[in-house]
Amino acid sequence: MKGRTEILLVEDNQHDQELILQILGQENLADTTQAVENGSEALDFIFCRGAFSGRNCEPPRLVLLDLNLPRVSGLEVLQQIKSDACASTIPVAVLTSSWEGRDLAASYQLGANSYIQKPVELQQFREAVRRTALYWLVTNQRPVAQDTRATRQAAP
Amino acid sequence: MKMPEVLLVDDNPADVDLTSEGLARSECSHRINSVSDGAEAMAFLHREGKYHDAPSPALMILDLNLPRKDGRAVLAEVKTDPALRQTPVVIFSTSQAGPDIGRSYQLGANSYVTKPAELSEFFSVVRSIGEFWLGCACLPSPEES
Amino acid sequence: MTPKPPGTGPEKTKLRILLVEDTAADSELILRHLRRAGFEITGDVVQTAAQFRSRLRSDPPDIVLADYNLGQWRGMEALAILREEKMDIPLILVSGALGDVTAVECIKQGATDYVLKDALTRLPVSIRRALQEKQLREDRRRAEEELAKKVGELAHSNMELEQFAYVASHDLQEPLRMVAAYTQLLAERYHGKLDEQADKYIHYAVDGALRMQALIQDLLAFSRAGRADMDLTSADCNLIVEDAMKNLAVAIRESNAVVNFECLPVVMGNAAQLRQVFQNLIGNAIKFRGSRPPVVQISAEQENGEWLFSVSDNGIGIAPEHLDSIFVVFQRLHTRQEYPGNGIGLSICKKIIERHGGKIWVESHEGHGANFKFTLPLEAHTVREVMILEPGKEHKHEDARSLVGG
Repeated sequence: MKGRTEILLVEDNQHDQELILQILGQENLADTTQAVENGSEALDFIFCRGAFSGRNCEPPRLVLLDLNLPRVSGLEVLQQIKSDACASTIPVAVLTSSWEGRDLAASYQLGANSYIQKPVELQQFREAVRRTALYWLVTNQRPVAQDTRATRQAAP
Repeated sequence: MKMPEVLLVDDNPADVDLTSEGLARSECSHRINSVSDGAEAMAFLHREGKYHDAPSPALMILDLNLPRKDGRAVLAEVKTDPALRQTPVVIFSTSQAGPDIGRSYQLGANSYVTKPAELSEFFSVVRSIGEFWLGCACLPSPEES
Repeated sequence: MTPKPPGTGPEKTKLRILLVEDTAADSELILRHLRRAGFEITGDVVQTAAQFRSRLRSDPPDIVLADYNLGQWRGMEALAILREEKMDIPLILVSGALGDVTAVECIKQGATDYVLKDALTRLPVSIRRALQEKQLREDRRRAEEELAKKVGELAHSNMELEQFAYVASHDLQEPLRMVAAYTQLLAERYHGKLDEQADKYIHYAVDGALRMQALIQDLLAFSRAGRADMDLTSADCNLIVEDAMKNLAVAIRESNAVVNFECLPVVMGNAAQLRQVFQNLIGNAIKFRGSRPPVVQISAEQENGEWLFSVSDNGIGIAPEHLDSIFVVFQRLHTRQEYPGNGIGLSICKKIIERHGGKIWVESHEGHGANFKFTLPLEAHTVREVMILEPGKEHKHEDARSLVGG
């Protein structure tokens, strides 16, 4: 188990996941990134339960959230994080291939901190991930850390 | 695609100039609208009075300490108004106080950035804001009122 | 007593006495002796405890003279009554034959002195001495009250000054930011476009503004080190040093500095403030380097019931005559051209360490690096115990860990 997790990457597409981890690695962020493949694991991580009940329950500095996920959808994950008193201040950057206007609207409505469409072109994709990571980890001022274990929600 | 409209809310004209300059350096096209107090900000957002033709901002950069209506109050109003709450709000303030940061997130701020005291850092930070929000993130499409 | 020369009237000492005596003849004898010794006597004779208490309340005397044996009660009980009434009045036992043992007992129990009835010539001396001692006690009490009051006033004044320094520094930041930013923008935009004089003027203005900014930051840090609520927790110095090094990443990289630290303990302290201490010390070690890349060694050992930390470097060192003064605020040993800085860093370290209950000092020779040492109180859990409680943590205690910039 890693020490402190700065980024929680929620991405079910293996290729995209590897690519994103590689880009984060170039910024020396891969070591502090936890990758999960579905919404249910994402929530387990955030609320320190299930497979992640033993972790030191500090909130990550950023959640990179895909929308099309198995088991629990990205929007559902977003809603659960943003409606929890302690977890709601964790910055969530939706990183999705969806071009649906309603996904964009719904995400911001539910409180997503930002929404990024995965560029199709590789170089632009790299740049987008890089800028996103640097913005949320360096430029953005993190909220006061709160133990998210305090409010355990029942698994969906 | 229409150029994104940025609403800059800051009572210090020197900072408005600095921020505009910094955003320009991000080389991501945008148009700046600025107001100098919280009441003006709400009037702009609601298209009241002299702002009846105002564009709908795709991004708000909001200082906290403002005359007439405080930045925190503006943030709260924006984030509880169903027509406005989608608008990303970046708090941009000199305050590094934990309570100010925490409260802003609680009120629904999308992001909180402290204004650096040093000029080159200031530009670097504002450029980062521009490059991310205007060059990378998808901003919600302006609502038709 | 030598008779006074004629023409000079004897100075009479006014004396209020309370005489606890049941034999009238003895009372007379005592009073006569005292008058002859130059006392102007006022007061009363009482026999019972109740009378004694009531006279005490209505008319407190300067001194109490009590017989040891008084029928129903003992003169020593008068002492107890005095104590109950919380009155600091000397009590002298005036008694018939009193064994030495009993006499000593009485004094141990609080009687100021005892005088035998067949040696009443001693009484005036004894009284004068008792009154002197009481006067001394009162003087001392008053001096202590004065002192406490002054200390309170000073503390209050100090607090106001510190608050003022903090508010002033804090409020100065904003207008200073404007001056610094816009003079720099002027420099950028108009460099070479106006005349040489203008470039020079703008350069001086920028320089001044930037120095002011740095000074205000330092003042604020110094001020904060004194104000902050101490918020003591278990602070893992290994993590704290790592954090400090993150903040110094650029300097470490640019100077190819090597920072070694091994098995630093967990202490009771304020993590943020301790981080500042390590950051200042490591930063200095890097700044005041010699021709070789800086190597900083951080270690800690238990000594005399506390932790003794050592931060040593291979830099330019410090001459012996300056070893104390470098901790003084604004004290610098070099010009700004030689080494940048305001001379506050070490005084901040000193303030923080002292607020933690420790001491800080330096051992050094010019040209041979410096070894900064400071003490911190022991923490309840030792590092070993922490290891057992948190098996997930990666602690390698067998070898020194080094983090190399590059």
